Amino acid sequence: MSALIPAFDFAQVIVEPWTENLSASAWVVLMGALVGTACGLVGNYLLLRRMALVGDAISHSILPGLVIVFLVFRHVSTPLMFLGAIGAGLLTVGIIEFIHRQTRVKADAATCIAFTSLFALGVVMLSMAETTGPIHIDAECVLYGEIAFVPLEPPVMLGGHELGPPSVIRMAGVTLVLIILVTVFYKELLLTSFDPALARSMGLKTGFWHYALMAALSIVVVSSFEAVGAILAVAMLIVPAMFAAQLTFHLPTRLVLTALHAAVSSFLGFHLAIWLGCSTAAAMVVVGAILFLVAWALTSIRRKPRLFEGTDQQSSAFDPIQGLVSKPNPDKSQAATPSC
Amino acid sequence: MNQETPAESSAPLEVHDVSVAYHKKLVLYGVDLSVPTGRLVGIIGPNGAGKSTLIKAIMGIMPLSSGWVKIFGKPYAKNCHRVGYVPQRESVDWDFPVNVMDVVLMGRYGHMGLGRRPSAGDRDIARACLEKVNMLPFAQRQIGNLSGGQQQRVFLARALAQESDLYLMDEPFVGVDAATEAAIITLLRDLKENGKTVLVVHHDLATAREYFDMLMLLNMRLLAFGPTEEVFTPENLQNTYGGRLNILSEVVQIVGETKL
Amino acid sequence: MKGVARSNKAWPLLAFLGWFCFAPMAQAARISDITEADLLERTLRFFSFTDPSLRYALAGSMLLGVACGLMGTFLVVRKLALMSDALSHAVLPGVAIGFLWSMTKNPLAIFIGATVAGLLGAATAQAITSTTKHKEDAALGFVLAGFFAVGVCLLTMIQNLPGGNKSGLDKFMFGQAAAMGREDVLLLAGVVLVCAAAIGIFYKEFLVTSFDPAFARSSGLKVQIFHYALILMLAFAIVASLQAVGVVLVAAMLVIPASAAFLLTDRLPAMLALAAVFGMLSGALGSFFSFVGRNLPTGPVMVLTASAVFALALFLAPRHGILAKWWRHRMRTRRVQRENTLKAVYRVLEDEGFRSESVSLRELAEHRRETLESSEAAIKTLEHHGFATREGADFTLTPPGWKRACEIVRNHRLWELYLNHAANIPADHVHDEAEEIEHILGEENVRQLEKRLNYARRDPHGKLIPGLEDIHGAGARFLSGNAVGFGPPRP
Repeated sequence: MSALIPAFDFAQVIVEPWTENLSASAWVVLMGALVGTACGLVGNYLLLRRMALVGDAISHSILPGLVIVFLVFRHVSTPLMFLGAIGAGLLTVGIIEFIHRQTRVKADAATCIAFTSLFALGVVMLSMAETTGPIHIDAECVLYGEIAFVPLEPPVMLGGHELGPPSVIRMAGVTLVLIILVTVFYKELLLTSFDPALARSMGLKTGFWHYALMAALSIVVVSSFEAVGAILAVAMLIVPAMFAAQLTFHLPTRLVLTALHAAVSSFLGFHLAIWLGCSTAAAMVVVGAILFLVAWALTSIRRKPRLFEGTDQQSSAFDPIQGLVSKPNPDKSQAATPSC
Repeated sequence: MNQETPAESSAPLEVHDVSVAYHKKLVLYGVDLSVPTGRLVGIIGPNGAGKSTLIKAIMGIMPLSSGWVKIFGKPYAKNCHRVGYVPQRESVDWDFPVNVMDVVLMGRYGHMGLGRRPSAGDRDIARACLEKVNMLPFAQRQIGNLSGGQQQRVFLARALAQESDLYLMDEPFVGVDAATEAAIITLLRDLKENGKTVLVVHHDLATAREYFDMLMLLNMRLLAFGPTEEVFTPENLQNTYGGRLNILSEVVQIVGETKL
Repeated sequence: MKGVARSNKAWPLLAFLGWFCFAPMAQAARISDITEADLLERTLRFFSFTDPSLRYALAGSMLLGVACGLMGTFLVVRKLALMSDALSHAVLPGVAIGFLWSMTKNPLAIFIGATVAGLLGAATAQAITSTTKHKEDAALGFVLAGFFAVGVCLLTMIQNLPGGNKSGLDKFMFGQAAAMGREDVLLLAGVVLVCAAAIGIFYKEFLVTSFDPAFARSSGLKVQIFHYALILMLAFAIVASLQAVGVVLVAAMLVIPASAAFLLTDRLPAMLALAAVFGMLSGALGSFFSFVGRNLPTGPVMVLTASAVFALALFLAPRHGILAKWWRHRMRTRRVQRENTLKAVYRVLEDEGFRSESVSLRELAEHRRETLESSEAAIKTLEHHGFATREGADFTLTPPGWKRACEIVRNHRLWELYLNHAANIPADHVHDEAEEIEHILGEENVRQLEKRLNYARRDPHGKLIPGLEDIHGAGARFLSGNAVGFGPPRP
């Protein structure tokens, strides 16, 4: 066991990455933070809609989309990648809805069926394609990527200046666009997530926003693939959003907290990985999960008994809409407890 | 906790100072009551008053924050075979792969040992109970293939198959047709005639007076409990339904917070 | 009970699979090593069962299918499908720790470590949902991702360790059925045995705690114990299957065969049996295809086979399948169309005071405000069903046709009257609703309605409601020229 966990060498773990290898370290930490922020933004809305595991489903089922795009066009570029991802993502959501609307199979089983079948299809297509020629997709990489390779990519050049590794540039673009979209369409996203019935009565197309969110999810996940892989992308979707939701009920604060959480867990995870010599992306997620556990412990200690609110205990416990909309007052008092 | 005398302990249901909190939110506070044998009792109160919670607390499905419950003088776990339960109809998945007979046989499970299988006698009892609610022709039907009233009658047959002395029913009249409602109330009166005690959560004030011989008015606290004609008064109903923001519940709330 | 009968049936199967493991070994070749032989040769080789690694792979895949089918059934009916996904990822740190324990790929150590990790994951998810505001999906997602990340960390750390036989540890991600050895198959057989025995003995407890936990608790059962027993067996099934299908696709083998069975039957014992059979079938076909095909991974092929079975069930299931539903819907629409034609014919006859028994196509077309062609098509459908006979441009209702027409008109008018009287809906608002209800009302409802309406004879628009006598004695009275529906009023 002692061989497993190396001695903690402060200079080597904390100092050297920033003195010896500044640019590589910076790119890795930046990428981690960007992935966490972009995933976390989408994740907040997934959590509100109780669709956290749809994120899991889509992140797996993107694989056949990528393989098909590659088999058809024989090369990989950002727009093609996004195309394949959106196609596969929307197909997954479509299959899930088809199965559980048309038959007695429930949504949870339908989700499981759709994404595992598509993922299996992707893996089989991949191994069949490998026999015909080289293919630049690695199923294992899709599962748990390697963020440490990010600085090794040939950098993007713009007007004679080195801009940075392409995946970081792409991720930054996606994050930026996402932040703009979330700001511009804040009230639409809020309303369709909180109270779809009210949103419909006000003329909002809830179906459109649902699929738009799924498309955004697909793009975010596919851009995170190279760095963190499918399963850890799921972690980045869920964990920062859960952390933020644990601390506050105010959605804008949640969004900011998500980004903060992403940055902190990226930074600490990077150093943890250097110390333990393990996968960087996984270490970032481990740190993120620990941060959530800390938030959980803190809020459990500080929470007080609730006021009687006159809502039925069952409906407030199981109905997300009711739980979120009908009692702003007690939640505000709670939101004020942690300093953020 | 004070020990009751043996004379009192024969009451089918005794609830002493029971409080229940759900997710640290007070739902029932200081409920105290004792139900005599052979009565048909209606539990009345607004939505969220804790009616279902009271039933679940009695059966130990919801943990109590304080107080105790006795069934025929013993803790629930010791006497659970003497209690029949009809849950709310929406509480189960009606697509579940079981047929009507399977569901009614579940009423017999409490009388069998762990790992034992239903005997021919159990099946006879189940069939007899189905006959009582006029559902025998549907014994082999998948439960999702029934109307709301029929589903409720299946649940009722299951409770009958439990052959209990105290019945707890959670909203058995919700979503059933008039014919089923009449059939259910006849059945409940039969049970009462046979010396059984029946507690029914009910939401319809209009019929409450005619159906039950005792009423329990509940809104987080037990506001009134007694024979229908005494309890069913405008003041009591006002207290139960209109008093959501009255001083009583605020005070109770403050007390509850300091206590928990 | 049938649960026990089913597990009894599993015995000869187990014995048969056991034979695969202990039969004398002829030649050694890995399941995916054969590239030179052609398709036919490889197929023959598969069915000769001479390769020991093939025998293990096949036996293991089939046992895996049975274990997953049994446990998956409970997952599907309890709506815990996503729990399987979370648990299968959550066992990864346990695999790593199990490996560290002995520094070899010892199946037992890995089994124990992974089971403990799985249970820990389930407990964490439960703790999150019960103490925070997070819903179940988020809690499962957290367990899935968080535990998996710890697992990846540990595995990558193990890769850096000196010494130890690390080969094959990476196969836990996608699984490799070909790498299964005797211990793995025995482990799977043990898991199948434990699961089948537990389900057989405690069938009724698992049934009632799954169907109605509140009721189960009220009759004195410890619901939590049975829940955790199921989770424990689920963890067993997942961990034993990891070697063959891998972390990502175990969930598929649990959920897909059980969901296919769910579409095909309405009884739990039958669903258990079907799910086990589908699982076994997927396992066998999966290993067959991956042996015969070039370079095909066993796990994903197995999952695709299961998906194909599910797709078949989805479309072709007799009662819950999409085609069956579509067909029923189509039949209903057609029946409603036929009955509407019959009703129109009745109205035409009624407008003429029932003076003649035949109606011309033109009259019908005018009444329904449609073209002659569509009226003709409608009448042809009636003829086809024996409701009408045609003579040139005129046609007559047959006795069954007349009976049905009377019934529909009666249903329509009774319902209008009921809405008008009992629900106080104005007479000019009741027609549309009656248009739908008339096709649904059964004889029993009609008797109740008639009684409730005091056997009224006229609807809110003043038209006569056909009674029982008109319906049954109609044909004869028609021929005798008596006006139908004008009999003496009944009490």
